[in-house]
Amino acid sequence: MNAVDVIVHLSVSEDNVTTSQLRRIYTMRQIQWPDGQPIIVFVLPKQHPLHQRFSKERLQIFPYQLERIWNKLTYSGLGVAPIIVSTPEALIDAVIKTPGAIGYTETIVGKGVVNVINIEK
Amino acid sequence: MSSILKSNLHRIKMRILLLLNITFVSLMMNGYCQGENFQVHGFAAQGIIDVNGSNYVNDDGALSIELTEIGLNASYSLTQTLRLAGQVVYLDGGNRYNDGVRIDYALLDWSAYSNENWQVNFYLGRYKNYHWLYSSTRDIPFTRPSIILPQSVYFDGFRDISVGADGGAMKISHSSDSLGNFDFNISTGSSPISSEQTKIVMSDFALGEMKHSYDLQASLYWQPFLSSWRFGLAILDSEFAYVAVEQGDMFLDADITLQRVIANMLYEGENWEFSGEILQERFVLEDFYFDNFHVDNIGQGIYVQSRYKVNTDLTLLARYERYYANKDDKNGHELEASAGGSVPRYFGYQHDATLGLSYDLADNLRLQFEYHYIEGAARLTPVILPNPQVNDNESWQLWAMHLMYWF
Repeated sequence: MNAVDVIVHLSVSEDNVTTSQLRRIYTMRQIQWPDGQPIIVFVLPKQHPLHQRFSKERLQIFPYQLERIWNKLTYSGLGVAPIIVSTPEALIDAVIKTPGAIGYTETIVGKGVVNVINIEK
Repeated sequence: MSSILKSNLHRIKMRILLLLNITFVSLMMNGYCQGENFQVHGFAAQGIIDVNGSNYVNDDGALSIELTEIGLNASYSLTQTLRLAGQVVYLDGGNRYNDGVRIDYALLDWSAYSNENWQVNFYLGRYKNYHWLYSSTRDIPFTRPSIILPQSVYFDGFRDISVGADGGAMKISHSSDSLGNFDFNISTGSSPISSEQTKIVMSDFALGEMKHSYDLQASLYWQPFLSSWRFGLAILDSEFAYVAVEQGDMFLDADITLQRVIANMLYEGENWEFSGEILQERFVLEDFYFDNFHVDNIGQGIYVQSRYKVNTDLTLLARYERYYANKDDKNGHELEASAGGSVPRYFGYQHDATLGLSYDLADNLRLQFEYHYIEGAARLTPVILPNPQVNDNESWQLWAMHLMYWF
């Protein structure tokens, strides 16, 4: 089984993120990149096996915890939750097309289309 | 009789129309309006509820379909730091609160400061109560642990007043790689109070108007770094005024003060979840019955609950709650004596043991079921002039089933 890679739009200059930074981004506690560009977060539906793997392996958070945080933001007016796309291919496509985007994949994506960033422990 | 039938038919028709609308909007919006700057979400839930031994939902004790929650919200980013957001809901909970369509929130969100570790946001307009464990999403069925929330903290009789307010709120979030996550919220505003809400709190004989004159709330949440635990502390200070009508009102002008301190904790493990809230509230009522009448009570409540995820679809719930309207009169004897025996002592407390389960039929479709065994009537309405004719049982039970969909 391939590892889950974190991918970002080519406009994002970061090469590395720490696990805690990635967790801040996906729990919507960090909403812009260090250069000020807004972060656009993409995810798959909560029951998708790739989403479950990403959540546990990369973020070290249970998927239900993420869902609760996002539901609170969406349904109380407090903030904006990630954008849900239906397939892994659509997720890669969204990251390619959206400046500031972040997403994840388990298939190898051609160089020069998106940036794959290293996760530091 | 025919008017009751007509009004029930009207309610059912309205529900079906709203459900069709939400399905249509959901189909239309899905995939089109979940963009970077504009998002639309919603939910629809319908249930059945049966209460035996109290007027919590209806007066006749029959099985009821007055368990409807429908909502639609939108968020639109004007610029990188300014956002408009709003939600409209239709609620029907029988006697629990006023039924009908209402604006749940409608606000301007200004992201005043943001970097890797800090976020400062100001919310202006109609905001939600962001302070207690479930207060900001108490009407959003799939975000609650149960269909009926613990009444000590989430008293349905005060729902419209405590659900949010018109005014301003501020949130400061700090994420530290050593100390963990901190969230500080502060808000001040007031809620419009309908005549139905006035009757729910005061009694059917209250013909005057109730006004929410002052409200200040603050809360602090802390989740230690990488911890499964989170701890919270919230305070509330509010004042209300009752303005009696000149002719025919049984009551005089009155001042009401409500102050609350709530502490809560939450543990989220892979299968087990533990949470609870503990509450102390001070309730002051001045005048009302006669000049210089004065009541100053301190109530106390606590609930602890556990949820166990059997698998990704099935979750079980167990909860126990105790609530005392006056900590110095826990068995209600003084209450009964002071009312000359017309208010039974069990109006001094309300304890609730709950068992429930929720089952996810699909990603966004859930069925929930629960049973409550309750002793006492302190959280039944009206609060100020209780109704022991209808609520003539110390112990009462309820069960409910709720089907919910969201997008």
